[in-house]
Amino acid sequence: MKEKLKKIIRKLTWTYTPETEREASDSTVRNFILHWFPAKVTTKSISFSYSMVLGTIILALFVILTITGLILMFLYVPSVERAYWSIKDLNFVVSYGWFIRDLHRVAAHLMVAAVFLHLMRVFLTGAYKHSEKIVGSYRPLNWWIGISLLLVTMVLSYTGYLLPWDQLALWAITIGDHIALSAPLVGSAISKILIGGTIIDQNTLIRWYVAHVFLLPVIIFLLILWHMWRIRKDGGLAGVEALGTERIMQDKVVAKGKTYSLMGIVTGITPTITQYRVRGASVNASPYLTRRIIMIFILVTAITMGLALFIKAPLEEAASLMWTPNPAKAPWYFLWLQELVADTTIRTRSFTISGGLIGGILIPTVLLAFAVAWPLMDKSPDEAIGVWFHKSRRFQNALFLLICFIIIALIYVGAVMRGPSWHLYMPWQQWIKMPARF
Amino acid sequence: MQENKEEEKLPPVSRRKFLSYLGGSFIAGGFLLQGYAALKSLFPKVLYEPPTKFKIGMPADFPEGVRFMPEHRLFIIRNGDMFHGISAICTHLGCTVNLAQYSPPKTYDSSSGKPVSETYEFHCPCHGSKYRENGNIYAGPAPLPLPWFKLYMAPDGQIVVDTNTTVDHNFRLKV
Repeated sequence: MKEKLKKIIRKLTWTYTPETEREASDSTVRNFILHWFPAKVTTKSISFSYSMVLGTIILALFVILTITGLILMFLYVPSVERAYWSIKDLNFVVSYGWFIRDLHRVAAHLMVAAVFLHLMRVFLTGAYKHSEKIVGSYRPLNWWIGISLLLVTMVLSYTGYLLPWDQLALWAITIGDHIALSAPLVGSAISKILIGGTIIDQNTLIRWYVAHVFLLPVIIFLLILWHMWRIRKDGGLAGVEALGTERIMQDKVVAKGKTYSLMGIVTGITPTITQYRVRGASVNASPYLTRRIIMIFILVTAITMGLALFIKAPLEEAASLMWTPNPAKAPWYFLWLQELVADTTIRTRSFTISGGLIGGILIPTVLLAFAVAWPLMDKSPDEAIGVWFHKSRRFQNALFLLICFIIIALIYVGAVMRGPSWHLYMPWQQWIKMPARF
Repeated sequence: MQENKEEEKLPPVSRRKFLSYLGGSFIAGGFLLQGYAALKSLFPKVLYEPPTKFKIGMPADFPEGVRFMPEHRLFIIRNGDMFHGISAICTHLGCTVNLAQYSPPKTYDSSSGKPVSETYEFHCPCHGSKYRENGNIYAGPAPLPLPWFKLYMAPDGQIVVDTNTTVDHNFRLKV
């Protein structure tokens, strides 16, 4: 335990002291940006068919979100009296305000989708598996960081669509708050922290605003850095394992003058990878990898901008607790949860458990626990690492796809088949006409 | 001499170690206290929120039957000179329920098998919970019936609602 703590502290602090000025200056190898990349990358790990470049796409979207978010911060006022009207101004008064807002929203939706697809890719290729082959690598850790990133992305989206302070925002907070309240024992304390009182008001808005524009972006940024650094530590994308990668244990001293910078943090091990000697298996990171990354950034920006021209961010009526829109629906990525909370109330003669607790808290927690424990439970052989649909993982892939299918099916039901008062309609049936207000 | 050496090795905690533990625990304690202060500051001590007891008007202002008071999120039901108040906040996840009125009255079989007729119901738009006239749940995910609030007369003759006090279904305010 103590040794582990020491190890963590050593990883957090820089203990490798350069001996000469030259060594120190060499560490940020000539180019600040290029020093993120390894000197060589395997052709497999930069091939589209293996990774589908989802991670880079997500990073590009995150950059777009950061830039547009910064502009929006100049134009948005986080007060219950003015928030709604500052968004109205953004849509109708501010020059190109509508475009910046639409771009921010489209990028956010794409990011949630891309993060989910990225998780599917990593699972289906078995890229989260630990192998002894690469010394110093531990891929499950990066899987767990990835899951945290998924959660933070979801919370960022949630806090984001609360800020316009329209009907969608208000009822989303109301439902979220009541899901928290349905938790036994800690429910009311969590609700107090979330909404800052017993009713949703200015306290709530300022909390969510600060979380959305500062706290969560800082957390996600640090997690992204860690996530990308871990890929380097793990010897590259998991696809390299099949190439017979080996990391040779060497004394720290040998590595010293040569490549420390990033590697200096790796205590006692140098990432000498023998498979780089395999002919044709690897290319120089620059330009092969850097060129791809630039292309992806340009493409993602172009596509997001194109979509933002056509997909308008909605703005419902100003927030009012007096009436609830009918039907009141969450954005698509939360619809499966909304469908779950609506369907999972359990009633017996003597007691009732609210769907808010089962569908809103217990089921997502169980799913999360399974996701976290999966790398430790997966006993498939090393050959399955970094291979799409490996035959030894047929059963778990099928199970995983089934869960994904159920989630997507629930989203479909929530989006298309739920009409006023959450009645079930077939896609071809007409919804009954409901007055907008009662 | 030999004994002396062993004694030198023996002390489990040297002065240096002791002081570093002491310093370390003070620093850790400081961080803990600051963390506690930060967390505690998120729990408001004063809530600038609307009161939970409020006047809703003179009895004569209320028509026979059910009236929705959106600003307070409750229904006031008048039956001759009897009044009672039912919350409009769905017990599932807090949406405002809608009033569904029926004319002619809707008839259903009660749990004892006798047909009962009612002129209105409460339907939640968020997840489809449905409540009877008296707030009892009969469909959808809501775990509890809609609570009834205590009503009483203010000295100036207005009806007061106390949303902090719930009452059972026999409660009626007679004016």
